[in-house]
Amino acid sequence: MFSWSGEPIVQTHALGQDDIAFDVNETLRRCAGGDRAALRAIYDREAARMLGIAMRLLRRRALAEEAVQDAFVQIWRKAASFDPTRGDGRTWIYAVLRNRALNILRGESRTDLVDDFEPMALASEDDDPEVLVGKLSDAGALKRCLGRLETDRRQAIVLAYVHGLSHGELAGRMGVPLGTAKSWIRRSLVTLRECLG
Amino acid sequence: MTRLDPDLDRLAGEYVLGLAEGHEAARAERLIETDDAFGRAVASWRGQLGELDALAAPLAPPPDLWARIETGLDAPAPAAATPQAAAAPIPAPLVTDRVNAFKALWRSLAFWRAAGLAGAFAALLLALGLPAYLGRVERPVYVAVLLGNANEPAAVVNAFADGRAELIPLQAVDVPRGRSLEVWTISDPGQGLVSVGVLDRARTVRLDLRSLPRPGANQVFAISLEPERGSPTGKPTGPVLMKGVTSPTL
Repeated sequence: MFSWSGEPIVQTHALGQDDIAFDVNETLRRCAGGDRAALRAIYDREAARMLGIAMRLLRRRALAEEAVQDAFVQIWRKAASFDPTRGDGRTWIYAVLRNRALNILRGESRTDLVDDFEPMALASEDDDPEVLVGKLSDAGALKRCLGRLETDRRQAIVLAYVHGLSHGELAGRMGVPLGTAKSWIRRSLVTLRECLG
Repeated sequence: MTRLDPDLDRLAGEYVLGLAEGHEAARAERLIETDDAFGRAVASWRGQLGELDALAAPLAPPPDLWARIETGLDAPAPAAATPQAAAAPIPAPLVTDRVNAFKALWRSLAFWRAAGLAGAFAALLLALGLPAYLGRVERPVYVAVLLGNANEPAAVVNAFADGRAELIPLQAVDVPRGRSLEVWTISDPGQGLVSVGVLDRARTVRLDLRSLPRPGANQVFAISLEPERGSPTGKPTGPVLMKGVTSPTL
Protein backbone atom coordinates (compact mmCIF):
# COMPACT_ATOMS: atom_id res chain seq x y z
CA MET A 1 0.00 0.00 0.00
CA PHE A 2 2.66 2.48 0.95
CA SER A 3 5.90 2.76 -0.85
CA TRP A 4 8.50 4.41 1.29
CA SER A 5 11.50 6.09 -0.19
CA GLY A 6 14.63 4.81 1.44
CA GLU A 7 13.14 1.37 1.68
CA PRO A 8 12.67 -1.14 -1.07
CA ILE A 9 9.73 -0.03 -3.17
CA VAL A 10 7.19 -2.76 -2.99
CA GLN A 11 4.07 -3.25 -5.01
CA THR A 12 1.60 -0.55 -4.16
CA HIS A 13 -1.15 -3.10 -3.75
CA ALA A 14 -1.51 -6.23 -1.74
CA LEU A 15 1.31 -5.45 0.61
CA GLY A 16 -0.11 -7.88 3.13
CA GLN A 17 2.39 -10.66 2.71
CA ASP A 18 5.63 -8.77 2.28
CA ASP A 19 8.06 -8.74 5.17
CA ILE A 20 7.77 -5.05 5.98
CA ALA A 21 4.07 -5.28 6.66
CA PHE A 22 4.58 -8.54 8.52
CA ASP A 23 7.06 -6.81 10.80
CA VAL A 24 4.68 -4.02 11.62
CA ASN A 25 1.82 -6.39 12.38
CA GLU A 26 4.04 -8.55 14.55
CA THR A 27 5.49 -5.51 16.27
CA LEU A 28 2.02 -4.21 17.07
CA ARG A 29 1.19 -7.60 18.57
CA ARG A 30 4.23 -7.22 20.83
CA CYS A 31 3.09 -3.71 21.75
CA ALA A 32 -0.26 -5.15 22.75
CA GLY A 33 1.65 -7.56 25.00
CA GLY A 34 3.33 -4.64 26.77
CA ASP A 35 6.70 -4.79 25.02
CA ARG A 36 7.93 -1.22 25.02
CA ALA A 37 10.92 -2.09 22.87
CA ALA A 38 8.46 -2.98 20.12
CA LEU A 39 6.96 0.49 20.23
CA ARG A 40 10.46 1.93 20.15
CA ALA A 41 11.16 -0.16 17.05
CA ILE A 42 8.14 1.38 15.32
CA TYR A 43 9.31 4.79 16.47
CA ASP A 44 12.81 4.28 15.10
CA ARG A 45 11.40 3.17 11.82
CA GLU A 46 8.46 5.48 11.31
CA ALA A 47 8.73 8.59 13.48
CA ALA A 48 10.57 10.73 10.92
CA ARG A 49 8.04 9.97 8.19
CA MET A 50 5.19 10.51 10.61
CA LEU A 51 6.61 13.88 11.61
CA GLY A 52 6.87 14.84 7.94
CA ILE A 53 3.23 13.93 7.35
CA ALA A 54 2.11 15.76 10.49
CA MET A 55 4.10 18.81 9.45
CA ARG A 56 2.39 18.95 6.05
CA LEU A 57 -0.96 18.92 7.83
CA LEU A 58 -0.19 21.17 10.77
CA ARG A 59 2.51 23.52 9.48
CA ARG A 60 3.85 24.16 12.94
CA ARG A 61 6.66 22.08 14.31
CA ALA A 62 5.41 22.03 17.91
CA LEU A 63 1.97 20.85 16.83
CA ALA A 64 3.41 18.25 14.46
CA GLU A 65 5.58 16.85 17.26
CA GLU A 66 2.58 16.80 19.55
CA ALA A 67 0.59 14.86 16.95
CA VAL A 68 3.35 12.25 16.63
CA GLN A 69 3.74 12.05 20.39
CA ASP A 70 0.00 11.54 20.93
CA ALA A 71 -0.14 9.06 18.05
CA PHE A 72 2.49 6.83 19.67
CA VAL A 73 0.70 6.89 23.00
CA GLN A 74 -2.52 5.90 21.19
CA ILE A 75 -0.74 3.19 19.19
CA TRP A 76 0.51 1.76 22.46
CA ARG A 77 -2.86 1.87 24.15
CA LYS A 78 -4.87 0.65 21.17
CA ALA A 79 -2.42 -1.93 19.86
CA ALA A 80 -4.55 -4.74 21.29
CA SER A 81 -7.49 -3.52 19.20
CA PHE A 82 -5.51 -3.63 15.96
CA ASP A 83 -6.95 -6.39 13.82
CA PRO A 84 -4.60 -7.56 11.05
CA THR A 85 -7.51 -9.07 9.18
CA ARG A 86 -8.96 -5.59 8.69
CA GLY A 87 -5.92 -3.90 7.16
CA ASP A 88 -2.17 -3.81 7.51
CA GLY A 89 -0.35 -2.46 10.51
CA ARG A 90 1.39 0.40 8.81
CA THR A 91 -1.86 1.74 7.37
CA TRP A 92 -3.33 1.52 10.86
CA ILE A 93 -0.44 3.42 12.41
CA TYR A 94 -0.71 6.17 9.85
CA ALA A 95 -4.47 6.36 10.31
CA VAL A 96 -3.91 6.92 14.05
CA LEU A 97 -1.45 9.69 13.23
CA ARG A 98 -3.68 11.36 10.66
CA ASN A 99 -6.68 11.27 12.98
CA ARG A 100 -4.68 12.88 15.73
CA ALA A 101 -3.20 15.53 13.44
CA LEU A 102 -6.58 16.34 11.91
CA ASN A 103 -8.15 16.66 15.35
CA ILE A 104 -5.46 19.14 16.30
CA LEU A 105 -5.91 20.98 13.02
CA ARG A 106 -9.68 21.12 13.18
CA GLY A 107 -9.71 22.00 16.83
CA GLU A 108 -7.62 25.04 16.12
CA SER A 109 -9.08 26.20 12.87
CA ARG A 110 -12.73 25.52 13.52
CA THR A 111 -13.20 27.12 16.86
CA ASP A 112 -13.34 30.53 15.17
CA LEU A 113 -12.19 31.61 18.58
CA VAL A 114 -8.46 31.24 18.43
CA ASP A 115 -6.73 34.20 16.91
CA ASP A 116 -3.27 32.80 16.37
CA PHE A 117 -4.33 30.49 13.57
CA GLU A 118 -2.20 31.15 10.55
CA PRO A 119 -4.02 30.93 7.25
CA MET A 120 -2.72 28.22 4.98
CA ALA A 121 0.24 29.30 2.98
CA LEU A 122 1.86 26.89 0.61
CA ALA A 123 5.53 27.61 0.70
CA SER A 124 7.59 25.25 -1.37
CA GLU A 125 7.21 23.63 -4.73
CA ASP A 126 6.78 20.35 -2.90
CA ASP A 127 3.51 21.67 -1.58
CA ASP A 128 2.10 22.14 -5.07
CA PRO A 129 -0.50 19.42 -5.53
CA GLU A 130 0.35 18.94 -9.20
CA VAL A 131 4.03 18.44 -8.39
CA LEU A 132 3.08 15.93 -5.72
CA VAL A 133 0.79 13.97 -8.04
CA GLY A 134 3.62 13.94 -10.58
CA LYS A 135 5.80 12.17 -8.02
CA LEU A 136 3.33 9.36 -7.47
CA SER A 137 4.40 6.03 -8.80
CA ASP A 138 3.47 5.54 -12.44
CA ALA A 139 2.76 1.93 -11.56
CA GLY A 140 0.12 2.84 -8.98
CA ALA A 141 -3.56 3.32 -9.66
CA LEU A 142 -3.78 6.55 -7.72
CA LYS A 143 -1.78 8.62 -10.18
CA ARG A 144 -3.73 7.29 -13.13
CA CYS A 145 -7.08 7.80 -11.43
CA LEU A 146 -6.31 11.29 -10.12
CA GLY A 147 -5.34 12.05 -13.72
CA ARG A 148 -8.93 11.45 -14.73
CA LEU A 149 -10.13 14.35 -12.61
CA GLU A 150 -10.18 17.91 -13.82
CA THR A 151 -7.23 19.91 -12.51
CA ASP A 152 -9.20 21.90 -9.92
CA ARG A 153 -10.83 18.83 -8.50
CA ARG A 154 -7.64 16.81 -8.43
CA GLN A 155 -5.98 19.63 -6.54
CA ALA A 156 -8.86 19.83 -4.10
CA ILE A 157 -8.54 16.14 -3.25
CA VAL A 158 -4.78 16.38 -2.79
CA LEU A 159 -4.93 19.58 -0.74
CA ALA A 160 -7.57 18.06 1.53
CA TYR A 161 -5.61 14.88 2.13
CA VAL A 162 -2.07 16.22 2.25
CA HIS A 163 -2.55 19.64 3.82
CA GLY A 164 -5.78 19.04 5.68
CA LEU A 165 -7.76 21.80 4.01
CA SER A 166 -11.40 21.83 5.07
CA HIS A 167 -14.30 22.26 2.65
CA GLY A 168 -14.38 25.95 3.54
CA GLU A 169 -10.66 26.39 2.99
CA LEU A 170 -10.87 24.55 -0.31
CA ALA A 171 -13.71 26.78 -1.42
CA GLY A 172 -11.72 29.87 -0.48
CA ARG A 173 -8.62 28.66 -2.23
CA MET A 174 -10.46 27.60 -5.37
CA GLY A 175 -12.61 30.70 -5.41
CA VAL A 176 -15.87 28.75 -5.52
CA PRO A 177 -18.86 28.65 -3.18
CA LEU A 178 -18.77 26.15 -0.34
CA GLY A 179 -21.49 24.01 -1.89
CA THR A 180 -19.51 23.78 -5.10
CA ALA A 181 -16.38 22.67 -3.27
CA LYS A 182 -18.37 19.99 -1.46
CA SER A 183 -19.93 18.66 -4.64
CA TRP A 184 -16.54 18.65 -6.40
CA ILE A 185 -15.19 16.45 -3.66
CA ARG A 186 -18.19 14.14 -3.71
CA ARG A 187 -18.18 13.69 -7.45
CA SER A 188 -14.42 13.28 -7.49
CA LEU A 189 -14.71 10.51 -4.91
CA VAL A 190 -17.26 8.73 -7.11
CA THR A 191 -14.94 9.03 -10.11
CA LEU A 192 -11.98 7.83 -8.08
CA ARG A 193 -13.87 4.86 -6.73
CA GLU A 194 -14.95 3.82 -10.22
CA CYS A 195 -11.35 4.03 -11.35
CA LEU A 196 -9.64 2.55 -8.30
CA GLY A 197 -12.19 -0.23 -7.97
CA MET B 1 -15.28 -5.51 -2.85
CA THR B 2 -19.00 -5.77 -2.33
CA ARG B 3 -20.63 -2.66 -3.67
CA LEU B 4 -21.17 -0.41 -0.69
CA ASP B 5 -24.01 2.08 -0.73
CA PRO B 6 -22.52 4.98 -2.74
CA ASP B 7 -23.40 7.49 -0.05
CA LEU B 8 -21.56 5.44 2.53
CA ASP B 9 -18.57 4.99 0.26
CA ARG B 10 -18.55 8.73 -0.25
CA LEU B 11 -18.66 9.21 3.53
CA ALA B 12 -15.76 6.76 3.90
CA GLY B 13 -13.76 8.76 1.35
CA GLU B 14 -14.55 12.09 2.96
CA TYR B 15 -13.64 10.66 6.34
CA VAL B 16 -10.25 9.48 5.09
CA LEU B 17 -9.66 12.82 3.35
CA GLY B 18 -10.34 14.51 6.69
CA LEU B 19 -13.40 16.26 5.30
CA ALA B 20 -16.10 14.57 7.38
CA GLU B 21 -17.12 17.08 9.98
CA GLY B 22 -18.85 16.90 13.34
CA HIS B 23 -21.69 14.43 13.26
CA GLU B 24 -20.53 12.97 9.94
CA ALA B 25 -17.12 12.15 11.39
CA ALA B 26 -18.71 10.64 14.48
CA ARG B 27 -21.02 8.60 12.26
CA ALA B 28 -18.07 7.36 10.22
CA GLU B 29 -16.23 6.35 13.38
CA ARG B 30 -19.26 4.42 14.60
CA LEU B 31 -19.69 2.70 11.24
CA ILE B 32 -16.05 1.64 11.18
CA GLU B 33 -16.73 -0.32 14.35
CA THR B 34 -20.10 -1.73 13.37
CA ASP B 35 -20.23 -2.10 9.59
CA ASP B 36 -17.66 -4.37 7.97
CA ALA B 37 -18.37 -3.11 4.45
CA PHE B 38 -17.88 0.46 5.60
CA GLY B 39 -14.68 -0.54 7.40
CA ARG B 40 -13.38 -2.12 4.21
CA ALA B 41 -14.23 1.03 2.24
CA VAL B 42 -12.30 3.15 4.74
CA ALA B 43 -9.35 0.74 4.59
CA SER B 44 -9.45 0.87 0.81
CA TRP B 45 -9.41 4.68 0.70
CA ARG B 46 -6.62 4.73 3.29
CA GLY B 47 -4.59 2.30 1.27
CA GLN B 48 -5.04 4.19 -1.97
CA LEU B 49 -4.58 7.72 -0.66
CA GLY B 50 -1.73 6.51 1.57
CA GLU B 51 0.49 6.68 -1.48
CA LEU B 52 0.46 10.44 -0.94
CA ASP B 53 1.77 9.98 2.61
CA ALA B 54 4.70 8.03 1.27
CA LEU B 55 5.81 11.23 -0.49
CA ALA B 56 6.12 13.27 2.70
CA ALA B 57 9.70 14.29 3.36
CA PRO B 58 10.92 12.70 6.61
CA LEU B 59 11.81 15.10 9.40
CA ALA B 60 14.20 14.09 12.16
CA PRO B 61 12.29 14.04 15.45
CA PRO B 62 13.78 16.10 18.28
CA PRO B 63 15.93 14.03 20.67
CA ASP B 64 13.46 14.34 23.52
CA LEU B 65 10.41 13.17 21.60
CA TRP B 66 10.75 9.55 22.65
CA ALA B 67 11.08 10.59 26.30
CA ARG B 68 7.89 12.63 25.93
CA ILE B 69 6.11 9.61 24.49
CA GLU B 70 7.30 7.42 27.36
CA THR B 71 5.95 9.95 29.82
CA GLY B 72 2.61 9.59 28.05
CA LEU B 73 2.81 5.80 28.28
CA ASP B 74 3.33 6.05 32.02
CA ALA B 75 0.25 8.18 32.49
CA PRO B 76 -2.81 6.31 33.71
CA ALA B 77 -4.55 4.28 31.04
CA PRO B 78 -7.89 5.61 29.82
CA ALA B 79 -10.00 3.07 31.67
CA ALA B 80 -8.45 3.87 35.02
CA ALA B 81 -8.21 7.59 34.63
CA THR B 82 -10.33 10.26 36.22
CA PRO B 83 -10.31 13.93 35.35
CA GLN B 84 -7.35 15.74 36.84
CA ALA B 85 -7.92 17.38 40.15
CA ALA B 86 -6.53 20.73 39.14
CA ALA B 87 -8.70 21.23 36.13
CA ALA B 88 -11.60 19.09 37.20
CA PRO B 89 -14.75 20.78 38.24
CA ILE B 90 -16.45 19.43 41.31
CA PRO B 91 -19.63 17.60 40.42
CA ALA B 92 -22.16 19.82 42.07
CA PRO B 93 -25.68 19.86 40.75
CA LEU B 94 -26.89 23.29 41.65
CA VAL B 95 -30.38 22.87 40.35
CA THR B 96 -33.34 22.82 42.62
CA ASP B 97 -36.77 21.40 42.74
CA ARG B 98 -38.11 24.56 44.29
CA VAL B 99 -40.72 26.20 42.20
CA ASN B 100 -39.44 29.75 42.65
CA ALA B 101 -35.99 28.75 41.54
CA PHE B 102 -37.47 27.13 38.52
CA LYS B 103 -39.36 30.31 37.73
CA ALA B 104 -36.24 32.40 38.08
CA LEU B 105 -34.27 30.13 35.84
CA TRP B 106 -37.03 29.93 33.35
CA ARG B 107 -37.46 33.68 33.31
CA SER B 108 -33.77 34.15 32.81
CA LEU B 109 -33.93 31.88 29.82
CA ALA B 110 -37.04 33.42 28.42
CA PHE B 111 -35.52 33.88 25.00
CA TRP B 112 -35.55 30.13 24.62
CA ARG B 113 -39.26 30.25 24.31
CA ALA B 114 -39.00 32.54 21.35
CA ALA B 115 -36.93 29.92 19.68
CA GLY B 116 -39.52 27.27 20.47
CA LEU B 117 -37.12 24.93 22.17
CA ALA B 118 -39.49 22.37 23.54
CA GLY B 119 -36.82 19.70 23.71
CA ALA B 120 -34.63 21.95 25.77
CA PHE B 121 -37.58 22.51 28.10
CA ALA B 122 -37.99 18.80 28.60
CA ALA B 123 -34.30 18.39 29.29
CA LEU B 124 -34.41 21.27 31.72
CA LEU B 125 -37.28 19.65 33.59
CA LEU B 126 -35.22 16.50 33.82
CA ALA B 127 -32.25 18.43 35.14
CA LEU B 128 -34.46 20.15 37.70
CA GLY B 129 -35.64 16.78 38.86
CA LEU B 130 -32.17 15.81 40.01
CA PRO B 131 -32.37 14.98 43.68
CA ALA B 132 -28.90 16.04 44.68
CA TYR B 133 -29.67 19.64 45.42
CA LEU B 134 -26.99 21.00 47.68
CA GLY B 135 -26.77 24.75 47.66
CA ARG B 136 -28.99 27.69 48.26
CA VAL B 137 -31.05 29.02 45.47
CA GLU B 138 -29.42 31.82 43.63
CA ARG B 139 -30.08 33.64 40.46
CA PRO B 140 -27.43 33.68 37.75
CA VAL B 141 -26.39 37.11 36.57
CA TYR B 142 -25.43 35.80 33.15
CA VAL B 143 -26.69 32.84 31.17
CA ALA B 144 -25.15 31.34 28.04
CA VAL B 145 -26.94 28.78 25.93
CA LEU B 146 -24.35 26.69 24.14
CA LEU B 147 -25.47 25.58 20.71
CA GLY B 148 -24.27 22.42 19.04
CA ASN B 149 -23.18 22.01 15.46
CA ALA B 150 -26.75 21.89 14.22
CA ASN B 151 -27.54 25.01 16.25
CA GLU B 152 -29.48 22.92 18.71
CA PRO B 153 -29.33 23.97 22.37
CA ALA B 154 -26.78 21.63 23.89
CA ALA B 155 -26.00 23.08 27.33
CA VAL B 156 -26.56 26.10 29.54
CA VAL B 157 -23.94 27.96 31.54
CA ASN B 158 -25.26 29.98 34.47
CA ALA B 159 -22.77 32.48 35.88
CA PHE B 160 -23.31 33.88 39.35
CA ALA B 161 -22.25 37.22 40.78
CA ASP B 162 -19.56 35.70 43.01
CA GLY B 163 -17.66 34.14 40.11
CA ARG B 164 -19.14 30.69 40.41
CA ALA B 165 -20.76 29.19 37.36
CA GLU B 166 -22.51 25.97 36.54
CA LEU B 167 -22.82 23.98 33.37
CA ILE B 168 -26.06 22.12 32.73
CA PRO B 169 -26.02 19.85 29.68
CA LEU B 170 -29.22 19.59 27.68
CA GLN B 171 -28.25 16.63 25.58
CA ALA B 172 -26.02 13.62 25.86
CA VAL B 173 -22.66 13.90 24.13
CA ASP B 174 -20.97 10.92 22.57
CA VAL B 175 -17.55 10.93 24.25
CA PRO B 176 -15.28 8.22 22.80
CA ARG B 177 -13.22 6.16 25.21
CA GLY B 178 -10.08 7.90 26.23
CA ARG B 179 -11.47 11.31 25.44
CA SER B 180 -13.03 13.97 27.57
CA LEU B 181 -15.00 17.17 27.27
CA GLU B 182 -13.19 20.39 28.10
CA VAL B 183 -14.99 23.61 28.93
CA TRP B 184 -13.45 26.87 27.75
CA THR B 185 -14.16 30.53 28.13
CA ILE B 186 -12.71 33.79 26.94
CA SER B 187 -12.84 36.27 29.78
CA ASP B 188 -9.91 38.32 28.57
CA PRO B 189 -9.69 38.62 24.77
CA GLY B 190 -5.95 39.18 25.10
CA GLN B 191 -5.59 35.84 26.79
CA GLY B 192 -7.85 33.88 24.43
CA LEU B 193 -9.48 30.65 25.49
CA VAL B 194 -8.94 29.47 29.04
CA SER B 195 -9.88 26.03 30.29
CA VAL B 196 -12.38 26.02 33.13
CA GLY B 197 -12.96 22.31 33.48
CA VAL B 198 -12.54 18.81 32.10
CA LEU B 199 -15.46 16.37 32.13
CA ASP B 200 -15.63 12.68 31.46
CA ARG B 201 -19.12 13.11 30.01
CA ALA B 202 -21.84 15.69 29.71
CA ARG B 203 -23.09 16.25 33.24
CA THR B 204 -24.08 19.11 35.45
CA VAL B 205 -21.00 20.58 37.08
CA ARG B 206 -19.76 23.66 38.81
CA LEU B 207 -17.18 25.65 36.89
CA ASP B 208 -14.63 27.57 38.85
CA LEU B 209 -14.19 30.99 37.31
CA ARG B 210 -12.88 32.64 40.43
CA SER B 211 -9.37 32.95 39.11
CA LEU B 212 -10.75 34.84 36.12
CA PRO B 213 -12.26 38.29 35.85
CA ARG B 214 -15.95 38.43 36.79
CA PRO B 215 -18.14 37.06 34.02
CA GLY B 216 -19.60 39.62 31.69
CA ALA B 217 -21.99 39.87 28.80
CA ASN B 218 -21.01 38.29 25.48
CA GLN B 219 -18.45 36.08 27.18
CA VAL B 220 -17.74 33.02 25.06
CA PHE B 221 -18.18 29.55 26.51
CA ALA B 222 -17.34 26.50 24.44
CA ILE B 223 -16.86 22.76 24.90
CA SER B 224 -14.37 20.78 22.86
CA LEU B 225 -13.52 17.11 22.63
CA GLU B 226 -10.05 16.54 24.07
CA PRO B 227 -7.71 13.79 25.24
CA GLU B 228 -9.00 12.28 28.44
CA ARG B 229 -7.00 14.48 30.77
CA GLY B 230 -7.80 17.63 28.86
CA SER B 231 -5.96 19.47 26.14
CA PRO B 232 -2.20 18.99 26.44
CA THR B 233 -1.57 22.42 24.90
CA GLY B 234 -3.81 24.61 27.02
CA LYS B 235 -5.87 25.43 23.92
CA PRO B 236 -8.56 23.35 22.25
CA THR B 237 -7.06 20.60 20.14
CA GLY B 238 -10.23 18.71 19.23
CA PRO B 239 -13.47 19.67 17.54
CA VAL B 240 -15.65 22.26 19.25
CA LEU B 241 -18.91 20.51 20.06
CA MET B 242 -20.88 23.50 21.30
CA LYS B 243 -20.44 27.13 22.03
CA GLY B 244 -22.38 30.20 23.03
CA VAL B 245 -22.09 33.63 24.62
CA THR B 246 -23.51 35.00 27.85
CA SER B 247 -26.45 37.35 28.09
CA PRO B 248 -27.33 39.24 31.28
CA THR B 249 -30.44 38.06 33.10
CA LEU B 250 -33.21 40.49 33.85
